[in-house]
Amino acid sequence: MNPAKRSLDAAAWKDKLKTTAIGGGALVFGVADADSFEAAPEGYRPKEILPSARSVVVIGGAKPRAGDWRSPNYQHMELSSTNDRMTALCMRLAHTIEREAGYYAVVVPPGVDEGQRPFLSLSLAAELAGCGSASLAGPVLHPEHGFMYFAALVTTLPLSPDQPLTDPACPAPECIAMYEEQGRTPCIAVCPIGDGGCLGGSIEDGRWTGRQYDRGRCMARVYNYWGPAFQKVMAEVLQEPDKERRRMMIHSSLFTRTLWSMTYANISQGQCFECIRVCPVDEKTRHLKQEPEP
Amino acid sequence: MSFFYVEPEIYRRYRDEVIGMSQSIQVNYPENLPPEKRRPGLSDEQIAEKLGLDKRTVTEIRCVAEREYYGIDEWQKAIEFKEQACRGYAREGLGFTTRRLFKERKHAKNNEG
Amino acid sequence: MAQTPSSQPEKPLDLLRVAEEVKSAALGYGADVVGIARAEAWEKYVPEGYRPYDLLPEARSVVVVGARGPTAGAWRSPNPRVMEVVGLDFANDRAIAALAGFIEREYRHYAIQAPGLSVAGHQPPFSYMLAAVLAGLGTRSFAANIVLNPRYGLLYYSACITTLDLPGDPQLEQDVCPHPMCVQTYKHLGRTPCIAACPADEGGCLDGTIDGNGRIDSVYYDRERCTSRAMNFGPVAFQKVLADLVSEEDPTARESKLHSDFSARAISGVSFYKESVAQCFECMRVCPIGRQERKLK
Repeated sequence: MNPAKRSLDAAAWKDKLKTTAIGGGALVFGVADADSFEAAPEGYRPKEILPSARSVVVIGGAKPRAGDWRSPNYQHMELSSTNDRMTALCMRLAHTIEREAGYYAVVVPPGVDEGQRPFLSLSLAAELAGCGSASLAGPVLHPEHGFMYFAALVTTLPLSPDQPLTDPACPAPECIAMYEEQGRTPCIAVCPIGDGGCLGGSIEDGRWTGRQYDRGRCMARVYNYWGPAFQKVMAEVLQEPDKERRRMMIHSSLFTRTLWSMTYANISQGQCFECIRVCPVDEKTRHLKQEPEP
Repeated sequence: MSFFYVEPEIYRRYRDEVIGMSQSIQVNYPENLPPEKRRPGLSDEQIAEKLGLDKRTVTEIRCVAEREYYGIDEWQKAIEFKEQACRGYAREGLGFTTRRLFKERKHAKNNEG
Repeated sequence: MAQTPSSQPEKPLDLLRVAEEVKSAALGYGADVVGIARAEAWEKYVPEGYRPYDLLPEARSVVVVGARGPTAGAWRSPNPRVMEVVGLDFANDRAIAALAGFIEREYRHYAIQAPGLSVAGHQPPFSYMLAAVLAGLGTRSFAANIVLNPRYGLLYYSACITTLDLPGDPQLEQDVCPHPMCVQTYKHLGRTPCIAACPADEGGCLDGTIDGNGRIDSVYYDRERCTSRAMNFGPVAFQKVLADLVSEEDPTARESKLHSDFSARAISGVSFYKESVAQCFECMRVCPIGRQERKLK
């Protein structure tokens, strides 16, 4: 008998999926109603990925560990950031839904569609599923775990949706206090849009507002060595009249590193963490022991 | 401002010294060799200090020199080398690499005799 | 695992027992071998900037895992391209990623997966091979200075740097390379099997001598030629193709080169290279160390 023909215990299925996700390494799990994505542009909503979609299941995790944040070598995190683990775990949930519950499930592709648009905004999905809230720095932050990588699946399985957070994770109380004193939050202070950085904005009544974000500059930092860098170097090479200089550019350390990053894009996804490094939201999870045992 | 790359003239001037001090050609690298014999190669910082250059320039020269050390023909030859070695081993086992040498040795001994 | 949860009052850790638990966890996560090196062991071998505490302040120890790459069946394939493409399944990286999480979660000590990818040309911030030597998992060989494990021979290594003050394992006293059979071959031919497979004086990468005690006396390795073989396709080859293209004056020749099979394979290697970290196994193919582990029915 097709498992879908049996009566569905939606609450039990939600529990089962959540247990599987958390057991598989996710830190957060949530469900959004597939019809609640009005904020997404037409063509980039759940039903355009899977007709008759009822739910969007979101998981988050694979965040940098406490030790990662302590490394003084910025290159360390450039080589260890990944949402691969979350995407693979999401695929496991999708298989579970199809094979055991008998409902359709599609993992939201982690890459981008034409025009550099995501197939479905994972940030929006995470917010709607109550897995976090948008931040002044950009990434969706969870009140306890802070920054993490998200993955999502769209399914015809009707699950009870979670609600967006009522109290946003950003700004943290420490940031509000800093803003009141200095007119800047830690993330804006480290990467100020008015001083060669990417971020700006203000805090009013305990909520951030008037956010300014230089996406182009952020891309130069987050994708320091990747597809956009490949395009930039090639554009320079093709403009350069001197043949020998062209070779120097092709064999340069920047271009070499860029090709490595393209190859290892799965573990070299984020290449700038400076706004999140100073974010206090998950500060308490970043402190462990370092002294030798007595 | 463009991105940082080395000027061809600087590259030509220091290429051989940089690559010679780096780990490109490794002579007596193993940790278990006596310390007086080991030559593990130098880091970019150490090479920069020796040549009186800044580290960034040395890194850049080394990166280009690593890529330019052999021409693209060496990559083509690599395909042929592996094809021959892998299929030879599948056919003849370990003897594929040593049989010719044993034959040469026997031939040389016969000639001596 | 009997650990003190973070919320409970802390007791001093029994570090010998913790070391055993960490090793057992690493094997459970898919490593074939595991060893531990003390962080200060790096002082003797590498300059500042490349030591564990340059990547994690207050680092005390480094846990190193090794995992086999190609299957025994892949080693038997007569087609070299099979192993070029399916060389590695990242079992070592997966094990060490899980282990770093395990150490932070269970012992509340900082742990990072040491960065082993190249960041400037061939240069990584941290050498996994040196870590393997210092953790007692193997010794260098005539074959491209690859660290050979006494049981498995060629392994792929990853490392986790931690502030956990674990006791180190001793480095191997017995050299893994040269194998007695190779010493005998050397006595007769003046070459070991790996050097015979890829001799530097005949367009290959390797050379070396063995002393009267059957130990490595001198060793030579041309890493740049090895690069042309072991990184035959992928980022490096793609750079070679591009450098050639931007130097080519004739538009017809440029187009032919761009659409050549070599160029197509180089580009495809940029995408798939991560699974095919090594693309030449000829010196290892003839190595007797670990051969027993590759014999099946």
